Amino acid sequence: MDELFQHFLNAVILGGTYALLGIGLTLIFGIMRVVNFTHGELYAFGAYCMYAFVMLFHVNFFLALVLAMSMGTVLGAAIELLLLNRLRGADIDTTMLVMIGAWIVMQNTEQFVWSGVALSISSPFPANPLVVGPLSVSWNRVYVFLIALGLIGTTYFVVNRTRLGKAMRATFQDRDTAALMGIRIGRIHTATFALGSGLAAAAGALLGPVFVVTPTMGDLAASKAFAIVILGGLGNITGATLGGFILAFVEEIGAGYISSGYRDAMGFLLIILILLMRPTGLFAQKERIG
Amino acid sequence: MNRYVGWLLIAFLASVPLWLNDFYLLHVFITTGIFIIAAMSLNLLLGYTGQLSLGHVAFFGIGAYASALISLGFQVHVLPDFTIGLEPKPPWLAILVAIFIAGLTGYAIGKLSFRVRGAYFVIVSISFAEVVRLVAVNWVELTQGPMALNNIPALTIGAGAFELSFLRKPAFYLLVLTAAVFSYVVIARLVKSRTGRAMVALRENESLATSVGIDVTRYLVVATVVSAAIAGMAGALYAHYIRIVDPDVFLFIYTVTMVIMVITGGKGTLAGPIVGGALFGLIPEILRAMAIEPEVQWIIYGVLMIFIVYFLPRGIVPAVESYFSNRKSVTARDTVSAASEVLKE
Amino acid sequence: MRKFAGLVTTAAILAGGIITGVNAQETIKIGVTQPLTGAFAASGNYVAQGAKIAEDEINKAGGVLGKKIQLIIEDNKSNPTEAVSTVEKLITKDKVPVLIGAWSSTLTLAVMPKLEEYKVPMIVETSSSGKITTSGNPYIFRISPTSAMEAKSFQPLVPKMGIKKASFLYTNNDFGIGSANEYSNMLKANGVTIGAMETMDPKATDFSAQLAKIKASGSDSLFVTTAVEQLTLILKQAKEQQLNVRIISCGGSNSPDQLIEQAGDAANGSFHTAFFPPWFPEVTKNPEVSKRYMDEWKKRGHNVGGLTEGFRGFDGVYVAVAGIEAAGKAEPDAIRAALWGVTVKGIYGDIHFNKEGPAGKESGQNVPVVYLVTISNGKVTRTSF
Repeated sequence: MDELFQHFLNAVILGGTYALLGIGLTLIFGIMRVVNFTHGELYAFGAYCMYAFVMLFHVNFFLALVLAMSMGTVLGAAIELLLLNRLRGADIDTTMLVMIGAWIVMQNTEQFVWSGVALSISSPFPANPLVVGPLSVSWNRVYVFLIALGLIGTTYFVVNRTRLGKAMRATFQDRDTAALMGIRIGRIHTATFALGSGLAAAAGALLGPVFVVTPTMGDLAASKAFAIVILGGLGNITGATLGGFILAFVEEIGAGYISSGYRDAMGFLLIILILLMRPTGLFAQKERIG
Repeated sequence: MNRYVGWLLIAFLASVPLWLNDFYLLHVFITTGIFIIAAMSLNLLLGYTGQLSLGHVAFFGIGAYASALISLGFQVHVLPDFTIGLEPKPPWLAILVAIFIAGLTGYAIGKLSFRVRGAYFVIVSISFAEVVRLVAVNWVELTQGPMALNNIPALTIGAGAFELSFLRKPAFYLLVLTAAVFSYVVIARLVKSRTGRAMVALRENESLATSVGIDVTRYLVVATVVSAAIAGMAGALYAHYIRIVDPDVFLFIYTVTMVIMVITGGKGTLAGPIVGGALFGLIPEILRAMAIEPEVQWIIYGVLMIFIVYFLPRGIVPAVESYFSNRKSVTARDTVSAASEVLKE
Repeated sequence: MRKFAGLVTTAAILAGGIITGVNAQETIKIGVTQPLTGAFAASGNYVAQGAKIAEDEINKAGGVLGKKIQLIIEDNKSNPTEAVSTVEKLITKDKVPVLIGAWSSTLTLAVMPKLEEYKVPMIVETSSSGKITTSGNPYIFRISPTSAMEAKSFQPLVPKMGIKKASFLYTNNDFGIGSANEYSNMLKANGVTIGAMETMDPKATDFSAQLAKIKASGSDSLFVTTAVEQLTLILKQAKEQQLNVRIISCGGSNSPDQLIEQAGDAANGSFHTAFFPPWFPEVTKNPEVSKRYMDEWKKRGHNVGGLTEGFRGFDGVYVAVAGIEAAGKAEPDAIRAALWGVTVKGIYGDIHFNKEGPAGKESGQNVPVVYLVTISNGKVTRTSF
């Protein structure tokens, strides 16, 4: 029984960061219809920024998070303006290929600059875990969970309660009408990509100290993000949040009680099953974002 | 004129082993050729039906594993005391069966995944490839998992004095060339037939095609079966050339390579995957020959990709074609204006 | 149709022109294929660095057979197809008479058919899968230990450590599976009960599920086989989950220095097998060689955590050169025949090759020394009982 509760707790903690990854991608995928292969690289970028600020420039741990996230947002905006802007009318696979090219360039630049050796970021939290009865969890992870919830809440607020968010939702529902109503689609796209990238970078900056930082760390994160987007439905933030937790649960329970080797397959199997039964994702009625 | 040039090109390519003594280049041509076959098959789905399938490497890998397992023989426990086994069969038979199995998988996947479209389909296709990879990794009894199936026999046809062996490179090169030409012809035939026109119709406007009475799912499934079978053939050839197959054959980077070849070459054109394939099959080797850092080689590769797609969004072949047709229309205009000048006199 | 025909032809000629490099140096070339990019880039680069140290040392001492040696290092991108391409290029274009590579077992297995086709010997510096030397390939000469050898040298420690029930956590590839199989067989033969056998994906970063299961199994020891990145995370997460078992890492890719640096206190109390202990080189079979390698490594400013990988490249080059010397000429077949008779005082120990595999087509296998070290109070010490 203790084991079950521990799995449960692990899943909850993990779910928060998965949700963060998923939300960023679902916004980009949903509003811009871009198969964003650089999402994982923004995650890695956030982690490397965190490493640079904390370990090389000795910046305060919490301030470093803010800086890493800001830089991720800026990089996202830059990618959108440089690469995607001109391709706005193009097919989904043309933009996808550009994103793949950017992914290759980013990952290899990271390896070139930092080499492939794993880097670790020290955190100000005690190494001993927080123990509650038979369950234990590290302080670092608790912090990550709380911040992730905060960021999810902020994103929810931005998308549902601000003018920018309204414009994003309008663009998602019907791009042409939105344009006719005076919404600057170009700006919305840049803002969306920047926001999504910022969230990915935040996830990387949060998880960097929990795990280790390597050039290929973004690949696994990206594949989970894609799974969450499907679970939750394209463009659906609530869906992505729930999807993040569901994926974490399925992975934990699956790995804990069925087979640990297939742990990362759980996500994919889940996607296939769900899509075969409910082709628009788990939360079919919530087609719109918000 | 076109067909004549085509035959000339094939003859030229076939003559290569006669005068090219560089085995390394021949190896590069062989692996590039195998990938071009896979790219052509992807083009059928991606270019002609407009479905972005990012799991294509699954069919490639299934073909490779099927052919390897049949030519090596295997034995698995389906139930604790019930095993299914197969004695090793000759490679040529293994390849044919592998093509069939890949096509069958294509049928199953086609029927299942075409309930969804667009972005969802993309992710389903990635998931499918990943699940197949994980099965290959974990079902160790059948596939040897990460320990790999090695010592795969080379392809030989016939026996004794009449044996035709494809162990040596020149012979294998010709085999790959034949397979490539065969695939091209099959795809060209399909594309120019009624089925092909239906596919293009559904690519251009699916709802309109359905309203006209075209059974969209049926044509998508046909395309997937043919596409999967050809990809499976490429995989089987790969297995008997490299002669070791492990779950790395399902690496996502292979799908990425095929997609790059198709899109930069020009999706929806017959020559596109060949041009894209030749380009992106040879570029990594050219980069390798230059004394640059390995990471920088990859970066140049990525930048080149971005440039080509950015400036030629429809691909190289359509861009080249429109350039030439522009010149022709310029000529026509010149003729007309010259004629009008004359008439004014 | 015409245009793309022209394009293809031009591309082919261009490719041929560029790829056919000009190579007029009077050197003896040794081919090296390692993963310099991709999933195994960190280790591959370390091995290449170690190889270059040996190259410079040997050339400074006059080279071999009166000529300097030249390492041609190719990146196999952690990918079997690329591994085959690198070997093709090294053998047919650069005409190397001997190779070193290819780091992981899958990559090495992938290139083995090529070695047989072109009859060129290769020195295997890292791979651990038994298959490599039992497949009947007489061009393979392995200086690294197999998982079976490693498990065998651990055997006497089982009663000393008082292991009664052991669990396994290993990475789901040839390296991890092979190691877990060998160790579990050895333990069972020595009366140890096996608890949980958990696997992990080579790219996974979270092992909470597996660790919770291991905790519930009641084992006193946990054998882990994976590379240093995952090992760091496992140590940290084991501490987070309050997993109070003795952790023993196997396989030799565990870089204890990196573990101390990155896992901090979580690394204390853990045991690790090593094939080269840079913390006390004086106990190695050939301490002068070890010290020379270590001094030069540090002088070049390489990462200290890489000492436990780089030496493989170092030894590989020395063995290749010994083979060339004994053969008297830089010809593949002569080198292959000569390698059977060489003894090299290397960091792996006194390197020589025993016959292993099916009769008539044996491969060469060295018997290196295996050490067990402990991390305590942030330092690496030799395990003693």
